[in-house]
Amino acid sequence: MADEVRRLSDELARDPASRVFVPLGEALRKQGQLDLALKVTLRGLERHPHLPDGHDLLARIWVDRNELLRAFDEWDMVLRLSPGHTSAMRGMGFVSYQLNRLPEAEQYLSAALAALPAGETDEGVTMALANVRTAQGLPAPTTDPASGDTVLPPGTAHDPRFLFSDVLSDAEQTALLLDRDGLVLAGAYVGHDGRDLAQEVGAELSGVTDAARRATRHLALGDWTSIVFETEVAVVAMSPSAGDGLLVLATSRATPLGLVRRLLDRCLDRAQKWLGGRY
Amino acid sequence: MASPFATVLDSLIRQRGVTAAMVVSERDGIAIDANLQIGQSGDRVAALAAFLFRKARLSARAAGMGEVSFLQLEAPAGRICAVGGGSLVLVVVAESTVNVGLIRVELLRGVDALRHAGGVESDR
Repeated sequence: MADEVRRLSDELARDPASRVFVPLGEALRKQGQLDLALKVTLRGLERHPHLPDGHDLLARIWVDRNELLRAFDEWDMVLRLSPGHTSAMRGMGFVSYQLNRLPEAEQYLSAALAALPAGETDEGVTMALANVRTAQGLPAPTTDPASGDTVLPPGTAHDPRFLFSDVLSDAEQTALLLDRDGLVLAGAYVGHDGRDLAQEVGAELSGVTDAARRATRHLALGDWTSIVFETEVAVVAMSPSAGDGLLVLATSRATPLGLVRRLLDRCLDRAQKWLGGRY
Repeated sequence: MASPFATVLDSLIRQRGVTAAMVVSERDGIAIDANLQIGQSGDRVAALAAFLFRKARLSARAAGMGEVSFLQLEAPAGRICAVGGGSLVLVVVAESTVNVGLIRVELLRGVDALRHAGGVESDR
């Protein structure tokens, strides 16, 4: 990835007017270098103010910085420049969901699904739409069970933030389900000041699934099954979930590692059932 | 002349089941020194491992959990373990049957040497 950034930086240095600032900004964003990604993108947009993909990238940087309203405005700009831009509608749907604007979220996510080319699917959007409808107490999209697609039974209205509450055994444990972009699908992470930090944590973890997959494939180790890291006060365990998502479990340092693994398995099972509409 | 990390890397690669040991810059993922089995290329793994460690550190910071000490990625045929020492990350690739407890201890031992040898706390 460092090589890619170097190559793109060189290309941009050779031709500052090129549109290579978009892949460069995206690579920097994925590396977590948000300040640099923002700088590159803003400079690029000064030269290409009508480039939808540039504004789309800027919106995703704002999401990573947890500036959701700015992200929403930027995607709104993308839609003005390029009506029907799928990524913008998808992003606006996720931001609306995070801001608890459920009818708007449903509208944007439905539009994003409808805008996909015939025969293409977006599992993340389909799951998010089902969650939004469920949270509103509306019937979720139901498809043929034989196809293996999402089937949500009626009466499953449930606040996704509490999806793992009964799986976890004490207040020091918390779990999050993230989509492939690090956006929160379910669960919560409440900080010491009572604020839900799930969005910030999710943003910092975007790209982990992809990097883990690339590392284990490069080494021919098979598909990765878990990442566990220890901090001064906690143990964090992560596991891949459906649709390139990520399940994150945090427990206190005092929790035995064997129990952490068992809790991770239980949360993963709950997440899979929920995503499949069976919870 | 041997690099300042040679002793740390040598002690890690001697552990049963360890196939690679590397010192990597966390910021840009560039391998600074490595001890690899013949035929291995460590650059890509170094970059990806550093990326994962950086992500873990940033998410822990966002969650107010303090500094990350040890990270382990598991896959059916092996694992990647890492510890951070200032701006450097010490990375080990090992077989799945390796004694992780032992590797963890060796890695954490190596962190101090890493800090003294150049893992200066900077630009974090």
